[in-house]
Order: sequence, then C-alpha cells, then structure tokens
Amino acid sequence: MEGILFPHGVAQGHEGLKEYRARGGYEALAKAIRTPPEDVVKVVSDAGLRGRGGAGFPTGKKWQFTREAPGEPRYLILNGGEDEPGSKKDRVLLENLPHLVIEGTALAAYAIGATKAYLYINANYAVAIKTITAALAEAKAAGYWGENILGSDFALDIEIVPAPHNYVAGEDTAVLEVIEGRKAWPRQKPPFPVTVGLYGKPTSVNNVETLANVPPIVLRGAQWYRKFGTAESSGTMIFSLDDDLNRPGVYELPFGTPLRYLIEECGGGLKSGKKIKAIMPAAPSSAYLPPEKIDTPLDHNSMRDAGAALGCGVVRLVAEGTCTVEEVIKISEFFTAESCGQCPACRMETNTLTSLLKKVQAGQGGQPILEQFSKVLAFNKGKGFCNLIAMPGPPIESALKLFPGDFAAHLSTGKCPVN
Amino acid sequence: MSRTCLVCQNIDCKSRGSEQLMAELEKRVAAKGLTDVEVKPYMCFGACQEGPNVVLYPDKHWYAKVKIEDLDEITEHLAGGPHVQRLDTIDSSLKELIYQLLDTGVF
Repeated sequence: MEGILFPHGVAQGHEGLKEYRARGGYEALAKAIRTPPEDVVKVVSDAGLRGRGGAGFPTGKKWQFTREAPGEPRYLILNGGEDEPGSKKDRVLLENLPHLVIEGTALAAYAIGATKAYLYINANYAVAIKTITAALAEAKAAGYWGENILGSDFALDIEIVPAPHNYVAGEDTAVLEVIEGRKAWPRQKPPFPVTVGLYGKPTSVNNVETLANVPPIVLRGAQWYRKFGTAESSGTMIFSLDDDLNRPGVYELPFGTPLRYLIEECGGGLKSGKKIKAIMPAAPSSAYLPPEKIDTPLDHNSMRDAGAALGCGVVRLVAEGTCTVEEVIKISEFFTAESCGQCPACRMETNTLTSLLKKVQAGQGGQPILEQFSKVLAFNKGKGFCNLIAMPGPPIESALKLFPGDFAAHLSTGKCPVN
Repeated sequence: MSRTCLVCQNIDCKSRGSEQLMAELEKRVAAKGLTDVEVKPYMCFGACQEGPNVVLYPDKHWYAKVKIEDLDEITEHLAGGPHVQRLDTIDSSLKELIYQLLDTGVF
C-alpha cells in the first residue's frame, strides 16, 4: 500500500541524502523558507495533521500556540524518547529516513520561529543516534541547517539529547526537565510547554512521526494529504506489531483502515495459529477490544467509539488460551514500576491496583475485591501531573468486563485457569 | 499479633515526618507491652494533605496530621484507652474506600 512516509508503507532500509533528494527531499524546506512561517502553520493545520505520540493533538494548533506565546527564544523539540513497550516506529523512522526527520524538524522550527531544535532520542537507540548524527553532518554541509539556510535569513541550530530509558521520560514536560539537566519528572500542567516550556520559553514538543509528516504536507499540499485517511484523522499512521505475529514490524496505513487488515494482511495473524481472544489497539494503556470488533477502522474517532484508543499505534493481540488476569498483572506492574513516584496519588493507585490484582491471582479477597478496582481508579481520577495515572484503568476495567471468567476462576481456585 | 497500626509511607507523608513517627510509635507500642499490635508501613491512604496518617486495623480508626506528641495518646488508645477524637478528621467516604481495601487484605 502506498504510504506518505515510506513509499511502499514499509521500511526499505536506510535512505541517504542523495536518494532522499532524488525523490524531492528538502524541496519542501526550500519552498517554505521563501514563504511566511504562518503559511507552514496553515498548510499543516489545513492538512489536519495530528500528533502521533499518543494524544492526537492537532499539530497546527500546537504550533500556533507556540508562535503566539510571548517570549524569546522559542524552542522546537523532536520527541524520540519512545519507550512504550512494543513501539518501534520512531526508531525505524530515525534509522531509515533520517533526512525526512531532519527536514521535518527544520520546517517545524521555521513555522514556530525557533532557532534551536533538540532531537531527543532514546539513549538505547544506538543505531538511530549514529544514523541521525551522520545525516545531520551531511545536511549541515548541504546548507539545510545552520546559518543562512539555503541562502535565507533563517538560522537553526540542532542538537541531539539522549533520552533516559524509562516510560515517563517521553512525556513532554519530562522531556523539558531532561534537556534542562534534571531527572525525567513530568511538570504540573498548566502551564503547557507551548507557553512555558524549555527554560520557561514557548516550546513545541513533537513526536518523530508527526514531524516526518511535515515535508510531504508542505511539498504536496493539504488537499493531497487529505486524500489519505478520514476527515478527522487525515494521513497515515505507523502501527507496530509484536513478535507473536507471523510478520511483526511496522506498517504505515491510512487512518480508517480496518484493524483486520493490519492484523491479517500485514501481520499474517498469530504465529501460534490460535484464535484471537482480545485486541489491544494502543498497548499497553488502551482497553481490550473483543475479537468481534476486528473490523473497527484504525482512526481516532472509531477507536474511541469502540471503547479503545489509538495511542502510538502499538497493536497487541491476546491469543485464546491466555489468562487476562495474568496479562493485566504484567501491565499493572509495568505502570507501577514506571510511575516516577513524585505524585503520591499515582504511587497509591498503581501500587494498590497491582496489590489487588495479585490478591485476585492468588485467589484471595472473594467477589468484593473485584469491586475495589473501579473505586481506586475513580478516587485517583484527574490527579497527578501526567497521564500515567490514567493508563492502567482501561486495560484492567475492560478485562474485568470482557473476561469475568478469568477473574472468577482465579478467585475460586487460587490458580490460573490456563497456566 | 491480631492488630495492626498502619503508618503511611508515601512520599508526601514521609516529607511530613512519617518515617520518624513510625519508628517512635514502634518504640512506644513495645514499651507499653502491646505484643498484639504490629506497627507496619502502608503505601498510601490517599489523604496526603492530612498526613502523616495512621490507621488502626481491624479496629478502623484513622488518625490524621499525627505528630510525635500525639503518639502517647494513640498508644493509650491501643491499650484500651479513649479514642483520640481531635485526630479523627478524615471524611467518611475516603475512610470507607480505604477500609474496604484493607478488608480485602491489601496491606
């Protein structure tokens, strides 16, 4: 299938500067810097580009807020902290299409009026960091960043910052903390980074995939971009499939493509040949969907209506014969471990949920214990500085709703019905 | 041991001195010869602004904003003395949530 980022929808190896230029690389930048920055914001807004880091916030709006916020200098941050279990799209983009990412960064910086951009990349991504470092050198030599970009007045400095290897380090305000030299603890919001960001200045933090979409939009226009996807989720999105599928990897698909296409045509179904018991479209923090929802279109609205979310596109399958109590324990333990610990409510919630699940696993607490989950979640709703506190709820509550038998089996026997 | 005295040790209560409070409470409980009472840390009662929090279980008494100077009265209560009314300030819905959790064995 034709893609916007990957010409054939899948990664086809590293693309150097020469190859990138041969398919129109850096032409968008050359075009943009001869137009007012507002035009770049406008075309991205008109294209309907939404953030690919998980929240799906309109990119044009974020840029507009950053541009209009008082204070100089402004900063652009490319967020490649990517530490969601199973997510590999940003790494694949950085390794394969480094110049697309750099051009997207330069365009975004130009749009918001930034003269400094940080490429915040997961420190474990050695190949990606090496690739982007080499590509930056090539791009600078060719005049795509630095002083007087392509003979214009636009100047941009770009610096790589390694991101710590933990989940909250990818949260946008935690990113600011790390770049400022502190530990990855999210800040209280508001204020949002667009007004009070890096060093207190207006800052746009954009995901790698989001910025990779910008050069094609600027070059080919909003109307062309809107040919892909749906009205409210335009363009394509990169989905990541785990190793338990026959063809794991990343797949770029237009928004609105049925989930079934991704799982069956792209992924080739489960390697084990087993039937699907449940689908988690935004692992590990979305609700489980029952297998009968396999035809749900992969777009923000359809997923929301189905009771799940798109997140950053990590689609995980649960095979028949898997116990969902065991599955949600792993998820709950993950969030407990990844909670940074600064907000008492988050510590309380994540620890309590894990403790409750372990009681269920051991067959303790009887029916009343199942009623505690929603109470603990409701008590902590809206608390905490970042969204991590909201993440364990959907998997746990949907598992309770869809697979009460797994919980009942644990409670009545104290043993896993499967293992 | 049939009774526990749970002292919140989440970061907020800790910042209000709950570690020292717990150590001190352990000493006083021991000095009083209350061998059926175990003083234990608890992860969080969700009442940070009211911390440090101490909950007696299964008696279900909750003492908030506990200071070192309140510990003699609390120990006295554990030994059969009167309930310390002025430290009993937590609203009943939160108490209910936490007591239900404790009833399920989560501590």
